[in-house]
Amino acid sequence: MNPYILATLLFGLGLGTTITFASSHWLLAWMGLEMNTLAIIPLMAQHHHPRAVEATTKYFLTQATAAAMLLFASTTNAWLTGQWDIQQMTHPLPIALITLALALKIGLAPLHSWLPEVLQGLDLTTGLILSTWQKLAPFALLLQIQPANSSILIILGLMSTLVGGWGGLNQTQLRKILAYSSIAHLGWMILVLQFSPSLTLLTLLTYIVMTFSTFLVFKLNKSTSINMLATSWAKAPALTALAPLVLLSLGGLPPLTGFMPKWLILQELAKQDLAPTATVAAMSALLSLYFYLRLSYAMTLTMSPNNLTGTTPWRLQSSQLTLPLAVSTLATLLLLPLTPATVALITL
Amino acid sequence: MSLPKIARLPSVRLLSSIHQQQQQLLLPSVPPLTGPKRAVSQGEYRRPGQPKVDKFPWQPINFGFSKGFEGVKKHLALLKKEFSDRWVGPQGKPILEHMLEQNQVLWEFRGPESLEQWTVSSDQEIGGQSEVHLKLGKNHNTCLLYGTLSSTPPRDGETRYSGYCTMRSKQPLASFDRKKHYDWSSFNTLHLRVRGDGRPWMINIATETYFSHQKDDIYNYFLYTRGGPYWQDVKIPFSKFFLTHRGRIQDDQHPLWLDKVNTIGFTLGDKADGPFQLEIDFVGVCKDYAHTEEFAYEVYKRNPEI
Repeated sequence: MNPYILATLLFGLGLGTTITFASSHWLLAWMGLEMNTLAIIPLMAQHHHPRAVEATTKYFLTQATAAAMLLFASTTNAWLTGQWDIQQMTHPLPIALITLALALKIGLAPLHSWLPEVLQGLDLTTGLILSTWQKLAPFALLLQIQPANSSILIILGLMSTLVGGWGGLNQTQLRKILAYSSIAHLGWMILVLQFSPSLTLLTLLTYIVMTFSTFLVFKLNKSTSINMLATSWAKAPALTALAPLVLLSLGGLPPLTGFMPKWLILQELAKQDLAPTATVAAMSALLSLYFYLRLSYAMTLTMSPNNLTGTTPWRLQSSQLTLPLAVSTLATLLLLPLTPATVALITL
Repeated sequence: MSLPKIARLPSVRLLSSIHQQQQQLLLPSVPPLTGPKRAVSQGEYRRPGQPKVDKFPWQPINFGFSKGFEGVKKHLALLKKEFSDRWVGPQGKPILEHMLEQNQVLWEFRGPESLEQWTVSSDQEIGGQSEVHLKLGKNHNTCLLYGTLSSTPPRDGETRYSGYCTMRSKQPLASFDRKKHYDWSSFNTLHLRVRGDGRPWMINIATETYFSHQKDDIYNYFLYTRGGPYWQDVKIPFSKFFLTHRGRIQDDQHPLWLDKVNTIGFTLGDKADGPFQLEIDFVGVCKDYAHTEEFAYEVYKRNPEI
């Protein structure tokens, strides 16, 4: 892609999220979200493959619907309460509508059907941007609304964890697996939103770091399906040794970083007398863990048939930058002991 | 100076037939309600190649209760199979099989029910004169696609070229006639065992598309057959398939994505009139580890800045 256009689009992406972060008026927030959508559309379709164009179209339609719902809800709120301030929403109807609009934006169940297909049509880099950066702006808005006693958030959260777990069970395509993992993690984030928004932010940030690592691992191996991970032991043995740990961190196993948000969320839910909810969420995390384990099984714990028997082939240096991968892998694996400091840092 | 030829006067018999027709027009008899006039159901002009319609559209449909019952049973069985397949693994196969498989036979012709998965067509649909038939070979081991090619174009005033025959697999369907796709992403080569007659065939692979203007997007590659009595193992990597739309090679080429393949087909259109036959033993996919090419064709920059 023309470097100027690429720079403009990335700048537009950054600007959109920043505008949404900095806004206290609903229209400005909506504008930031629209800028994000419009800036990522050419990035998604840059390869002109029909599947990429299909993914772009589906993404645009869902995001436009969500933005329209958001605009409608904020207009309704303005009509009912007389002001456009994001943090002063009191009427339950616009709050519910905005929650649903933002749920469609990020891909929470039951508004999740677009996410696996869209991620499958994209290349890994654009999929990474979609899974990580595009979640920041809607969450900024969700954190500010803070619906007080809303059961809609619990329903969205539980459905997302279950759908994310079950949906990812029978996939062989890595991008679809990451889409379902995204849905499951978003479910965890939404579950605790009304009780402790700082935990939602913590979960979002750890999810972004872990997903970043995972996408970069797959990008280094140039693999888009489980079978293509089979030869990573010959190409990058150190990465093959660390990748299962990254995946288990996504699954939420101690002593890795991914355990931190899950533990704190379950603790918070138990404190709020929602023990059955906490149980269902913990059980559905097992479903997600199954497909992460399956990925690590295929990648590291078994040697699939291939023609690389004998000595490892000539390991050429990869053209991809490995520093981001190294830093994010460290963060994915080793941040659990820093839980108190992290929680203190992110308290809203 | 000869006199110019004058058109002859029509004979008396012709005049009387015209009179009879006029009488019939003046006193039209009401026909019994046996079937529709062609004008009603097909429009005034029947394209050569379209079958003559002498029934109302609803007449061939079987509205019987047993047919509905069988249909419901079949679809519910397919639905149950879909649910139970999920417990086994992706696409009904355990994950170990997905990881270990290097060859998969998709179509082999071992019984009459295997012919049900294929559709044959030729240019008779547009009014041409080629014929094509599909039958099982000897000992029910192979399938034989045979017929005659005729490149005489149909006389409908707009078709200029003709003469093709094709065999295409039917779209796989899940319960309640939903489209199902083949997932060949663990493979990278198409493996056929054929015995042809020396003619150049073309293999067409159609993938799942989204927009309606992409519905004729097909990825093609050639299959050159040798005519001998010996079987021919053909392995074509999927990276060699190029994109065409309605038979025209597109400028903007991209590799074939293997995760949602709908149909595969074989076409013959080599402008050589006469009989042809192609015997197919099996159609399968395999994984060639030595083949690392992603796409065989370069796309040159169009409208380059000078």
